[in-house]
Amino acid sequence: MTKDKIHKDVIIIGAGVAGLTAALYAGRMNLNVLVLENGIIGGQIANAVSIENYPGFVSVSGKNLVSTLQTQAENFGAVIDEFDNIVKVSLNENSKIIETEEKIYTASVVIIASGMERKKLPLPEEKKFAGRGVHYCELCDGHMYQDKIIVVMGGGNAAVDAANFLTKYAKKLYLIHRSELRADEISQNKLRQNPKVEIKLQTEIKKLNGDKKLESIEIFDKNSGEVATLAVDGIFVNIGVVANTELFKNEIQISSSGRIIAGEDCRTNIDGVFAAGDVREKEIRQLTTATADGTTAALLAEKYLTKLKEVF
Amino acid sequence: MVKVYSFEGCPWCDKVKKYLKSKNVEYETRDIELDDTARDECEKISGDTSVPVTTIDGKNYVLGFDKAKLDELIAM
Repeated sequence: MTKDKIHKDVIIIGAGVAGLTAALYAGRMNLNVLVLENGIIGGQIANAVSIENYPGFVSVSGKNLVSTLQTQAENFGAVIDEFDNIVKVSLNENSKIIETEEKIYTASVVIIASGMERKKLPLPEEKKFAGRGVHYCELCDGHMYQDKIIVVMGGGNAAVDAANFLTKYAKKLYLIHRSELRADEISQNKLRQNPKVEIKLQTEIKKLNGDKKLESIEIFDKNSGEVATLAVDGIFVNIGVVANTELFKNEIQISSSGRIIAGEDCRTNIDGVFAAGDVREKEIRQLTTATADGTTAALLAEKYLTKLKEVF
Repeated sequence: MVKVYSFEGCPWCDKVKKYLKSKNVEYETRDIELDDTARDECEKISGDTSVPVTTIDGKNYVLGFDKAKLDELIAM
């Protein structure tokens, strides 16, 4: 089958908060905008039960925030395609080609806002138990563990928030982390006050056991040197994230941490290619900084397009 | 009739439903959180209550969002 060839002013890769914000701004400037998303619209934040640090909202669910952003972007003419996966990307100053399963797109500007995904549990048994005891989305799979024993692995905000959410299902919940907790005090305190919860710090998960499903784990207490077996039904892994840069690794400058190198202006080493949101190498990665990046990338994309038109 | 075993707030379930809609495929939503019968049916079909589970005959099913497999199922 020959793929249709289509040109767009701006193609945004990723429909997370940065990508949707860029789409909103670019759409408002009457640019012809396409957003391509291989996963879930909203990205990581779509799974957030309650967001309390996004200005203007006392509390908002990730789903509602994303839905509003999507409506805003679409109201300004941006098209979002979440069913046509990108298979190949070719980027240079003169040509920007994005091939999907069904089409071949060219674009004057590309904004990469492909975000991050959760790190996998680094144990050889992970594959055996993925979906059968090892999980990465508490909102999606938490319901499977009603009145069961749940472990949340990790010590950052995402892990503690996941643990707080999963207490509504668990009869017992362990939070296991290899060092000390880094999550906000307010979330930690909420978790510590829940009688179902036991927090094991300086503890590593060494092995997963079970026949068809996860049945127990082996844990190592770094302080005492003791190894113990813990009967558990499910583990929710929250041990950090990795940037979604696999598609671009041979196309653009990537940092040693796997993120795209671009300054606060979101400009990459290729003219007309911008990086926005968590995929960009930067110190602070928050919802607010993602929307800031999306705004910056779209406004500078428009400037770039105006200059291009002046040249031709 | 295509049935989608799912629950409110499950993002991949929503994606499956949006995909079926985009293909003009009618489907019935079976909510495994609100309906114990739906939960039992889901477990019987896939051996688990991990969702979304999409089925057309209660035997052949697709777990999660897999466009190629959903296309095959729709074509049955």
